[in-house]
Parts: sequence; structure tokens; C-alpha cells
Amino acid sequence: MYIKELTNIDGVSGFEEKVREFIKEKIQDKVDHIKEDTIGNLIAFKKGQTDKRLMLSAHMDEVGFIVSNIEEDGKLSIIPLGSIDPRTVFGKKVLVGEKQIPGVIGSKPIHLMDSLEKVTSFENIKVDIGATKKQEVELKVKIGDSVSFAPNTMIHQGWISGKALDDRGGCSILMDLIDLNINPYYDTYFSFVVQEETGLRGSGPASFQINPDFAIVIETTTSGDNPEFPEDRRSTELGKGPAITPAHRGYVNDEKLFNFAVKIALENQIPYQIKRRTVGGTDAQRIAITTGTPALVISIPSRYIHSPMSVLNIKDYENTLKLLSILITKEVK
Amino acid sequence: MEINEILKTLSNLNGPSGYEEKVITYIKEVAEKIPNTEASIDKQGSLMVKKSGQGKKIALFAHADEIGFVITKKEFGNYYRIHTFGGIDPKVIISQRLKIHTKNGTSYGVIGMLEPHLQTEELKNKVLSFDDLFLDVVEGAENVNIGDLATFSSEAFDLGEKYITGKALDNRASCVALLYTLELLNQFIIKSEPYFVFSIREEDGMSSAANVAFNLKPDLAIVLDVTHGDIYRPSYPKIETGKGPVLTVGTMIDHKYFEILKDCAEKNSVPYQIEPAGSHSHTDTDEIQITREGIPTLLVSIPLRYMHTPYEVVNLQDIKETARLLTNFIAVGGE
Repeated sequence: MYIKELTNIDGVSGFEEKVREFIKEKIQDKVDHIKEDTIGNLIAFKKGQTDKRLMLSAHMDEVGFIVSNIEEDGKLSIIPLGSIDPRTVFGKKVLVGEKQIPGVIGSKPIHLMDSLEKVTSFENIKVDIGATKKQEVELKVKIGDSVSFAPNTMIHQGWISGKALDDRGGCSILMDLIDLNINPYYDTYFSFVVQEETGLRGSGPASFQINPDFAIVIETTTSGDNPEFPEDRRSTELGKGPAITPAHRGYVNDEKLFNFAVKIALENQIPYQIKRRTVGGTDAQRIAITTGTPALVISIPSRYIHSPMSVLNIKDYENTLKLLSILITKEVK
Repeated sequence: MEINEILKTLSNLNGPSGYEEKVITYIKEVAEKIPNTEASIDKQGSLMVKKSGQGKKIALFAHADEIGFVITKKEFGNYYRIHTFGGIDPKVIISQRLKIHTKNGTSYGVIGMLEPHLQTEELKNKVLSFDDLFLDVVEGAENVNIGDLATFSSEAFDLGEKYITGKALDNRASCVALLYTLELLNQFIIKSEPYFVFSIREEDGMSSAANVAFNLKPDLAIVLDVTHGDIYRPSYPKIETGKGPVLTVGTMIDHKYFEILKDCAEKNSVPYQIEPAGSHSHTDTDEIQITREGIPTLLVSIPLRYMHTPYEVVNLQDIKETARLLTNFIAVGGE
């Protein structure tokens, strides 16, 4: 499992180089062929037993920000890349730009509020890198620089907490599948794509190049299994195995692939759950649109994704890996 | 004295109100390395460091505790509810990892925020209170009990060249200023009898500093705390970081000593700023002033950004200038 290393690398959408380099270095000697494409995707190939092609895809990017302005007082204004709840960013450490300049997202002291204040938008949220004047900052930071949450991952007994589990969890599964040195049924393309969070962008070009017969997207997904959320609104529950998606925003997953994945789980007594909500889209939609490929999403259920502190269950990770490790040796039917 | 490193170490130590032992022990170790000091801890847990000198009894106070959380309720699974002491905006604890100080060591929990995908319009627009938040204990849940305290887990670091950021800089920045003053005083013949008090329990409102003042009976008490810097406050002068210590004027401040302190700053070219306080300063000053038959009090503050959040920010130069002001004041006997 590579989650700790992977999540501790900064790689917001459009700035995935370091993640790509890490993955490439770890897998390049274990696959038949590997390439980086124009947009920044990393595609590794393993020969199968038939000429039909299976695409396994996970996205390398994470939600974050770019610098949108340098203010007169030396603070940085930011705009989000991907969907981030502004309430989750206060009092967090961030890293700015290629030089990884550390900063913090400050918050108005509670002492100076008449009542608790509503957070309306990122316009009111600034990054402080310890400067007091615009001129000081302009020497180190420019508009358009990336801003990522600082590394914070911890592996606990049974759980993992930290940033960017979405979707380094999926990347780690693909890397583990490569490490397992499985002889896949199909010609298999392990595709690590860019810019999922900003509109499912990398997976289109990846799918175009691979032109797969089947695609499985490995994601981390939402849950809602907490005391504040009604039980009947949950999308998944942690500890209950990989989530297989029947349909989500913009794409009804391929029926044959869905039934196939469920069958493999049942036959091998791997716990699984069917995702109960359709909110949120994935690269499965983009792949299906780009090449008309039947696609399916299998996810590690997660809590609090798209925030600097998300959580997943290690058993779920292991069962997701187990399901996929068997699935890729079989013919889809 | 490496004030930068000492401050970061102090920031990373955990000492919520009533549980300051590790912080006090570390401060004592640092103080005892400074020649001509005598340190002792009283029965409540406050540390007093004495420096020899002759003249008025001047006591300097800095509280060593920090804001924190109490585990208040267990929900299903590993979910718990928490509440705060010390005044914390619920917004700044969302998506934070907390260290829970259990009887069997440190456990970890995160304050989870439901994914934006699943949020209803109502939740998206809601101003969240502690009643809406929960702690998801991801490590050592079996050791967590109602009543255990928790603190932020943020680690201090250098923010640019001039600033340090981390938790509990309120009021460890003042603790460092006092330690640095202790060191600087070695260059002087001291014409007062100074006591440096690192007190406990300010944030929970108990003010053990006042208990120490009661026993010590000083001729003058100077309280060191932090104040809001670099933020616009209607009807208040703008207090800025990097512009030196902040001297409070107000009902809790002794007029005569205030003028002496201000003159001392000017004489020694210590930059300073003036901040008015109304009925209360919300520091130990308020309590010390009315101890026994009344004790003359002064309040000197270090300006700080983002008070009571996991990453408070202070300017090291402000700590140094504060120490320089206090050193000169004490050395000449507060006259």
C-alpha cells in the first residue's frame, strides 16, 4: 500500500507531476510498457491472454487551489480547484507553488465576532505566508501557483486519516495490483489520470488512446455514516467493503460489468456494498462518452473527502484490492 | 537563547488548562539553565522563577496553559461529541485532527465534515456549532473516556523569515519573552526583586496567577499576554505585528507605573503600541488587580494573528522587543 507516500505528495489538479514521477519510478520496471501522454496521464501496460483491452483508471490529482491574487498586505487570495467546502479550510497549513512555501489559512479570532460568522465564499479566505507587503511576496509567489494542503497522513490501527485519499487511494490500489504481478485476462492498461476534480479531463485523452473494450474506474467515494446524517441518506458505510456503483451523475454504469463485479464478490466471499446515492460523477462518465466504452466504478468508501482530513478503513482498502485482483483475471460475463 | 526553537517546542507541547505539567516542566528546565535563577513549583502547579536583586518586588506573569476540548458524549461506533474551553470558533476545528489525552496515552480523532456531494442546501448554508460537529476517533478509541481533554495537533513552523506559527502561541509567546528577559537581566545589576511566574489555568477562567499574586504580595504585577494584531477593529487603533509590544491603558492599569513603563520604552528606543481596554482586559490582570488590598498592575501584550486557532502567528521581533522593555524596566527598579 502506497497511500502514505502518495497522499503526502502535493498534486492539485493541473500540478500532478510529482505524483506521476513517484508512481512511474515505482512501477516502470514491473510493467510491459509505460508512457506519459500530452496532458500528463501515465499509462502502464501489461499483456493479457486476449487482445481485448481493459482500462483500469484512477486519478492522480487532488482538490486544492491556485493563487488568484497577491494582496497589498502580503496575503494570497485563492480560488478552489474542485469542490471544497470553505468551512473546512480554516486553521490549515498549506504549501504554495513549486518551492512549497509553507503558509496558513488564518481565521478571524472568535473574540472579535458578535456572533458566529457564516462563511460565504473563498473571497474571504486568505493564505498567510508570513509577509506584510505585496512586494515581499512577489519575489516568491506568482498568480497561478498551486496551493495544496500540507502533508498530514497518519496510518492508524485499521484506519487512515489525511488529505488526498481521493483518489490516491485508487492510485495505490492500481500500484498494488501491479506489484501482485497478476497475469490479467485482458490486455490491461493501468491509467493514472490528471484533472479529475476540475471536470473529468485527463480520462478522456487516456481513453481515446487506449480505446478500451471495458473500463473500471477505481475511486474513493462518499459515505455519510456519521451521527449528524440520517441513516437513510448514506451513500456507503465504512467497514462494509468496496462500493460498486450502479449509476451516478451523468452515467448509468454498464449493467454487464456491474453484475460481473457483484458476481466475483459473491463467489469469493468478499464483502461489498452497492452505492446508495447517485451524487458525484467520475471518470467512468468521461470514458464512456469518449470511446463509448462500457464502464464501472468500484470505490473505497471514505469519509470527509474533498477536505484536508478524510478517513478510510484499511479493511475496505484490502477488500477492494482483493476484488480487483480476482476480477482482472476473469473474462467479463 | 534560541527563542525560535524554544517557542516551537513550547507550542508543540500540550498543556490545556489544568494539565500544564509538561509545559511547566520544560519551562523550568530552560529557566534553570540561565545563571542566577531559582525555580520552584507551587502546590497548584504554577512555576515561579526568582532572580536576585534589591528593590521593589516586581512580579511578571505569563499563563502557560492553552485552550482545549473536553470529550462530552459517546455516540455510536467511534464517534464522540466534544465541547471547548477557552473560546474556540467551531469553524476552525472542522477537518482538524485532535490529540486526545487519555489515561492510557494519546488517541487521535478527526472532526469530520460531510462531503460536499452529500450536503443538503440547508447544511451548506448552516453556521455550525459544537452541537453539529462530532469527533471520529481513528486511533485508540478503546482508551477514550468522557471527560478526557483534547488539543489541536498542529506542529509549529517558521512562517517566512520573521514569523512563527503554531498552536498555543497564546500564551507561550509570552512565556518565551519572560525566559528571554531572565537571560537578558544577567547583563545588569538589578535594582528590583523580580519574580517570573508561569501560571496555569487562564483559559478556563480560573486564573491561578491571582493565587500566586496573593501569596507573593508584589509591589507591582506585570502581566504578559497576547493581543489581536493585523486586524481592523472599529473604534480601536490598529495593532500590528512587528511593531513592538502593546501597552494596555484602561481601568485595570496603574497610571503611575504605566507612565514609567512608557518612558522606559522611549528611553531605550523600544517600539511600542498603545491599546485601550474597557471594563475588562480578559487577562489575568483583571484578577490580580483586585487581589488582597489591591495590587498595581500593568498589561504588556504581544500582537498575534488568528488567536485561538491551530495556527496562531507571532513575530519574533515583538517577543525580543518585549523582553528588552521588561529587562530595562526591571533593571532600573521600575522607577
